[in-house]
Amino acid sequence: MAIESEVLVIGGGLGGLTSALAAAREGADVRLVSYKQSTLRQASGLVDVLGYTPDGDGPLTDPYEAIPTLPAEHPYRKVGVQTVRDALSLFDDAVPTYEGDHTDANALLPTHGGSIKPTARYPAGASAGLASDTRDTLLVGIEEMVDFDAPHVAAHLDATGVPFDVRGETIRFPGDLRADAKVTRYAKLLDTNSEVAVRGRMVPAREALAQRVNPLLEDEQRVGFPAILGDDNPGAIRDALSDHLGVDVFEVPMGPPSLPGLRLEDALFAALDEAGASIETGNPVVDFEGEDRIEKVFIEKNGARIPNSADQYVLATGGFVGKGVESDREGVYEPVFDCHVPHAADRYDWFEGELFGDHEFARYGVATDDDLRPLDASDDREFENLRAAGSVLGGYDFAAEKSGSGVSIATGYAAGQRAAQEAR
Amino acid sequence: MGPTPHIAVIGGGSTGAGIARDLAMRGLDVTLVEQGNLTHGTTGRMHGLLHSGGRYAVSDQASATECIEENRVLRDIASHCVEMTGGLFVKRPEDSEEYFQKKLSGCEECGIPAEVVSGEEARAMEPHLAKDIDKAISVPDGAIDPFRLVVANAASAQEHGARIETHSKVTDLLVESGEVVGIEVEHDSGPGKRVHGTEGGTEQIRADYVVNATGAWAGRIGDMAGLDIEVRPSKGVMTIMNIRQVDTVINRCRPKGDADIVVPHETTAILGTTDEEVEDPEDYPEEQWEVDMMIDTLSELIPMLDEARTIRSFWGVRPLYEPPDVGSDDPTDITRDFFLLDHDERDDLPGMTSIVGGKFTTYRMMGEQIADHVCGKFGIDADCRTADVPLPGSEDFSVLRDYMDEFGLRSPIGRRSVERLGSRADEVLNTDGPNPTVCECEGVTRAEIQDAIEGSGSDLNAVRIRTRASMGNCQGGFCSHRMASELHSEYDEPVVREAWDELLQERWKGQRHALWGEQLSQAALNYALHATTQNRDQDPADGDPVDFSAFDSGRGQTGGSVDSADVAADGGTNGY
Amino acid sequence: MSDAETPPDFDPVAPNTGEEFEPVDVFPDSDDFDLRPGADSCYKCSTCDTNCPVAEVDDDFPGPKFQGPEQWRLKQSDDDHEIDDSVMDCSNCMRCDNACPSGVPLSQMHNTARGEYVSEQMDKLSVEYIRNRILANYRTSAFLASKVPRLANFAMNFGPARWVMEKTMGITSERDFPAFAKQTFRDWWADRGGQAQSRENARAARRRRGLPEDADKKVAYFHGCYSNYNTPEVGKAMVRVYEEFGYEVVAPEQKCSGTPMFANGMLDDARRHAETNVSSMSELVDEGYHAIASCTSCSMALRQEYPELFDIDGIDKVAENTFEAVEYLRIHEDLKGEVQAADVDGDLAEEFAYHAPCHSRNQGLDRQAVELFRDLDGAEVEDVGDSCSGISGTYGWKEEKYEKSMEIGEEMFEHMEHAEGETGMTECPTCAMQMEHGSGYEIRHPLELLEAALVE
Repeated sequence: MAIESEVLVIGGGLGGLTSALAAAREGADVRLVSYKQSTLRQASGLVDVLGYTPDGDGPLTDPYEAIPTLPAEHPYRKVGVQTVRDALSLFDDAVPTYEGDHTDANALLPTHGGSIKPTARYPAGASAGLASDTRDTLLVGIEEMVDFDAPHVAAHLDATGVPFDVRGETIRFPGDLRADAKVTRYAKLLDTNSEVAVRGRMVPAREALAQRVNPLLEDEQRVGFPAILGDDNPGAIRDALSDHLGVDVFEVPMGPPSLPGLRLEDALFAALDEAGASIETGNPVVDFEGEDRIEKVFIEKNGARIPNSADQYVLATGGFVGKGVESDREGVYEPVFDCHVPHAADRYDWFEGELFGDHEFARYGVATDDDLRPLDASDDREFENLRAAGSVLGGYDFAAEKSGSGVSIATGYAAGQRAAQEAR
Repeated sequence: MGPTPHIAVIGGGSTGAGIARDLAMRGLDVTLVEQGNLTHGTTGRMHGLLHSGGRYAVSDQASATECIEENRVLRDIASHCVEMTGGLFVKRPEDSEEYFQKKLSGCEECGIPAEVVSGEEARAMEPHLAKDIDKAISVPDGAIDPFRLVVANAASAQEHGARIETHSKVTDLLVESGEVVGIEVEHDSGPGKRVHGTEGGTEQIRADYVVNATGAWAGRIGDMAGLDIEVRPSKGVMTIMNIRQVDTVINRCRPKGDADIVVPHETTAILGTTDEEVEDPEDYPEEQWEVDMMIDTLSELIPMLDEARTIRSFWGVRPLYEPPDVGSDDPTDITRDFFLLDHDERDDLPGMTSIVGGKFTTYRMMGEQIADHVCGKFGIDADCRTADVPLPGSEDFSVLRDYMDEFGLRSPIGRRSVERLGSRADEVLNTDGPNPTVCECEGVTRAEIQDAIEGSGSDLNAVRIRTRASMGNCQGGFCSHRMASELHSEYDEPVVREAWDELLQERWKGQRHALWGEQLSQAALNYALHATTQNRDQDPADGDPVDFSAFDSGRGQTGGSVDSADVAADGGTNGY
Repeated sequence: MSDAETPPDFDPVAPNTGEEFEPVDVFPDSDDFDLRPGADSCYKCSTCDTNCPVAEVDDDFPGPKFQGPEQWRLKQSDDDHEIDDSVMDCSNCMRCDNACPSGVPLSQMHNTARGEYVSEQMDKLSVEYIRNRILANYRTSAFLASKVPRLANFAMNFGPARWVMEKTMGITSERDFPAFAKQTFRDWWADRGGQAQSRENARAARRRRGLPEDADKKVAYFHGCYSNYNTPEVGKAMVRVYEEFGYEVVAPEQKCSGTPMFANGMLDDARRHAETNVSSMSELVDEGYHAIASCTSCSMALRQEYPELFDIDGIDKVAENTFEAVEYLRIHEDLKGEVQAADVDGDLAEEFAYHAPCHSRNQGLDRQAVELFRDLDGAEVEDVGDSCSGISGTYGWKEEKYEKSMEIGEEMFEHMEHAEGETGMTECPTCAMQMEHGSGYEIRHPLELLEAALVE
């Protein structure tokens, strides 16, 4: 026997989760299988839709306006503007702790490197840090934490022309954690508000942190910290800090490992659980049976192959980073179903000499028809009942465009919804 | 004796730095100029082999003998740059037995300790060697860090009063009344340590004597005075593996050929190399087949290389030279010996000598001979001490190794730091504040980065070669912005940004040759981190002004600026 | 493979398809450990670190990335004292294994580093070593105790004795030792008539189900130490549930799975036990049996740690044919359908606060109980969140780790308190100890609920 479902989603990142959620909300019996943890924990947790055109125009104020002008092979063109909007509505509903849905306009947020970037949705924790907000800002860095050097970030932000004064200060985190303490250690301390020793006295962590910042605060009306303010209770932590400091508190999204990304992943898994889907993580899909239709796939557990069958399948295994697309010296391939991945024959054509050149590899992934079904080398459907979503798709450079999350959500939504409709 | 002669040394590679140190230790005034960073040329682009001489034991016994002598000297004076890995000349079944025997007897003739080990013994030493290798000759090859070595030579020269100018390109030789009397240099950023954005300028440096130690670039310097120096630059590729598949230098025991050596180097293994003559030492093709050949051919010795991760490849240009009457066609036939060209004797142009050819392992010996030559010109009779006085960092090194744990670092990080810093570990690593790790791949801490910045200015590539930061498997993906931030306490933001961009671009350059498999995935991640998460590709600080008022300024607002504090007050009250 | 050679096609990222993969033998004849190639897959992204329950409460612990690919890459082969001593603070929960988007064999690297640390750097006469060795060899203590269960139950939890144990051995006196059953599972099994009785029961069930009486349905039960000595009711439930589906059960000779030994770097001990287990299980696998474990750490050891760490004849075959008890039924029977049609009353008509053990997470089983019992009438199973219980086998028994262990478990305790029911549920015996210790709840195994639902 096989483990059965109507829709089987392979991959547990933003594309897979949205896809499973859309299918489950459509009423289908959904099963999501995911090998390792997704790249969400490597991402900032911001939900970009489109910040720049492929030609580099931007930052775009209105991402939706630009979508119809994108090249035909772009995933947004496959699903259309309305689907992008519908998909974001699903996201807004599933993750109510995100903001930005009150306007079509992009927001500009400070990055931990000190630049600013356009994005469409941001966690509530980042909202007091918007760069179009003109309030003067104090950034606070932690001496032990090399990923966020507040004075440097502040100076860099200033160079981008932000409409406010910004200053950076560095403190030692109360409790004198060892220099290689993980961000989860900081988050846990603040989550539990455990007491830390400050000059021989035990003080709750949130209060102790505020005490270190207070003397540094001048006329600024908001204070930004690196995104370490809790995993389970970030809102309460910000409120507490805000009360102590008397000004708004926000987080600057960070690089990996990213707590905002982790929180987003948790929120989506919780929404999926609530929608009644079944979820299995930790083991890879390694093989399948079927010719024109996929009959079943095999999940590998230490040598044992566990069959899983479904009516419809969604491939949401990620791009190069998530290993949904792999490569060797000879070429580029999709490892689960061996779907065709168009790419240049000479691997020296995969990239440009300039660091931020127009790299082809960034656009590699499976090509699909308008129904998101992967196409083979002669533009025929690989399988009747397979759709692809998220960064396993080709035809767009999410890094240059700042469109990664938006494409994953939009194509995940479309693939999941259509799979569910077809399975019914 | 007259006033102290002033010697200008052109070239900041191993030879130039070695000459500068030697002359400075003999009491001469020395100015060393280098167009890029120290090791910018050939020295920074080699596989880091400390030759036992075994490699030349059949073809070039004079070189082999010099190598083993200098090998022993460097182990002494540069212990913090050397790792005595030992080496093997490995014979596969298809390799010639006759040559194997010649190699063995050649080593004996040159005084190189050599011993035959069986295939089984060789595999016991190096488990990843191919199962079908016949046997091997073990020799005292080692690994040496050329960056650290040259930096230490320059530091020693400085301690003895020398002036070291990096990023200072020689634009002309000053010739007056038929004699070279100095050089004209173009400073990238004013004299002294390099600071991005500082205006440079031209400087005429008058000297009593000029030494042209520019290796493959020697012809170019010669041109400035109408001299014909026929260096025959020959390029070779080196491919860096992410980890050490072997802890011993592995040579293929056959007469000559490409892709016949693997050198364990710090955390990595370096595969080498090719030998192909090029026209221009700065502009030559870097091609896919060269990288593929390294992997495919060396997999015959170490099969796991075929699937292993490589993090970059680079090419170096050997400054080969042979007297015009030899006329070798194949660059592999050109001697590895070095030549001292006194332009007075050779071209009737007094005031300058060029040194060409030679090998890294014998850099000190070359320096000694040049220094002898220069001293001779001025009638100075001072002994060479470079073979006896340890380099900075290599004094009393063995004692310090035992005290690593005192720096509060995790064991392997402490060990790596102390190995890089040698006897300077104490002064660098004993800090008051927290000393977090900045580069996790190579285990480089803030204290070490700060020490490097002190020594090299705002140039992050110079920090890199001093510390190895950003040279590990993420190739700067995770640490380049951290390194930039470390600069910021000292330098202004625009300077930092420029240095940061320069480091990123440099890291990208070599990585391009490793972009498949794991490293392509890593590159995709790095690209996402730098472009998506940090928006460094479209950084408004580098571009056009942004109309902030056109963007979202918070809930309840649809664009337009916000100037009152109550608007965003709801930002901090939600659950997330 | 018999020597230290890593196969040329070794790719730590590629899933083990069971065909081309040959395990790296990290313990060849010499003491030559080398997992540096595993570092080739690391991106440095630190996703693994965000999964580490120890790093969350202990800033002295540098996390799985450092302990794994970072340490291995920086390590040099010719030095002593190279493994950082912090590796002993790893609790071996193996949560990081599921994390790595690039397939770094993290727990294998940790286990190997720990083994190297213990064998090369740890003082064999130290109290810590001896204490760890005793904790790791729970089976030996349990075996002795089970001969005199009443006395043992008294003596092990006798206050003054525990004070002495904490002071001299570093075994925390905060915890109660688990009670020893008056009759071990194996005694019960033998009394009941062993395999012959099971065959009879299975045949009867097949007749009831309209299956051919000689259907080839047979499993070998790896009960582990705990359901043998402490909770035989779990073992009995396993036997009855399987027989209900028409499976004939055997209970072959077995020793400790090795889990507590891996966690303490006692790899030589673990290997000895593994040899017995692999040899008895592989014979049965050849005869068509599948190996079934009711403890998720035992199934983890047989499936993953054995082939990663040892080179024993038949080891891969055993790994491929080992399953967790409920998982196996989900694959081979219409378990979901039968549960949907069933109901429970009596003792187990309860609302259970369910905790997924870390080692079940690693086998993709963390949601199994919750999803399976979603549609069961009469009982509710509520997930108390994805945190680690904090005990991690022997970790929470160490005096110096006790508080960290409770801090890790805090989230689970809180969620248990918020949950509706006052009975806990989990597959792992040591998680059960921690749940009971922190909440005072009685803890049941999913097999017990299955038994209540499906067995007459």
